Amino acid sequence: MKTVETEIGAVLTGSISEITQRSIFRRLGGLARVPVSQLSAQERAAVLSDLENSIRLFSPAKSPELIASCRRVLAGGPLVDPHAAPAPSPPGATSRKLDIEVEKDIAVARLEAWSEAVRIGLSKFASVKVATAVSELARNIVFYAGTGSIELSSRRDEKGTRLEIVARDQGPGIDPQKLETIFAGTYKSERGMGKGLVAVKKLVDEFHLDTRPGKGTTVVCSFRGDR
Amino acid sequence: MIFSRLISASRGEIGAGAAPATGVRTAVEQELPIIQIRNCLLVSIQTELHDRLALNLQEALMERVRVVGAQGVILDISAVEIIDSYITRILNDIGKSVRYMGATCYIVGIRPAVAMTLIEMGVELDSVNTALNLDAALEKLELLQ
Repeated sequence: MKTVETEIGAVLTGSISEITQRSIFRRLGGLARVPVSQLSAQERAAVLSDLENSIRLFSPAKSPELIASCRRVLAGGPLVDPHAAPAPSPPGATSRKLDIEVEKDIAVARLEAWSEAVRIGLSKFASVKVATAVSELARNIVFYAGTGSIELSSRRDEKGTRLEIVARDQGPGIDPQKLETIFAGTYKSERGMGKGLVAVKKLVDEFHLDTRPGKGTTVVCSFRGDR
Repeated sequence: MIFSRLISASRGEIGAGAAPATGVRTAVEQELPIIQIRNCLLVSIQTELHDRLALNLQEALMERVRVVGAQGVILDISAVEIIDSYITRILNDIGKSVRYMGATCYIVGIRPAVAMTLIEMGVELDSVNTALNLDAALEKLELLQ
């Protein structure tokens, strides 16, 4: 019996590196080792949404095809031809990953983010917003998770320029109750104002937060160049 | 005009008297010299204001305010390109502690993009006074006396 890991792995190979695949399946936990046919509808949906997020993060250029393939595989359908020619990545698509461990990495990250924003042609004001958001995210990593990474990727599509920031850590995660107070604006942390995440959310065009207590936090947000 | 007059008036005092003694303060003042102009302290922040530096600055400033009996503290942040919520909190903390010590704190030279970003983030820089530039802050402080 083929498990989720082997079947989805076949879809992702060529688009997402082995190492990244392993971390994706590790996140899925026990579900990765279950045969696809034995997944309940609920588990299927959970696996799919997790995969969708990961694919968007790791292979934004090919995400629509990959997600469609994963959907088919999880539905028990046939796999798309893994030998089909890979879609060319859009011009100007770049990605850069920065490790965040100590305080000085915060300054490095915000400068990197700033120069990236300027490079892809965001306005001066938008570039400062990008750098400020990255600063907040990097600070959260150093203060609350210890270590993590920030990935900056930008690309140009028909809708304009888009800069995506992915801040990821394997820290303690955020307790759901605390998360509620954070976004209600009533949370006060010892070291920040408890406003970092709220501030980021207000600054960016798209904001997505995925946190699991004990496992870590991933914040995905993006800026559009047309603002 | 006022600025240059004050500079020449204070030249004799710079570096005299209250020389910092602890290692921490010396390190801070190498990067962020605290300049005394009459009874005001001036710090021009020209470097990336990383967190440790900001905290050390707060400590060093408080000590200098106490030693020289400063009436005003002016932080020139015209070279600072990015201010996030944490740095805002530090600036607010400095403003508050300066006020608690009976002096007045002015932040000068906030860049337009920084000001707009702070507003968009919903972060308040409300425990400090602000002025467009150093000259304006000195003028306002002079009026207070």
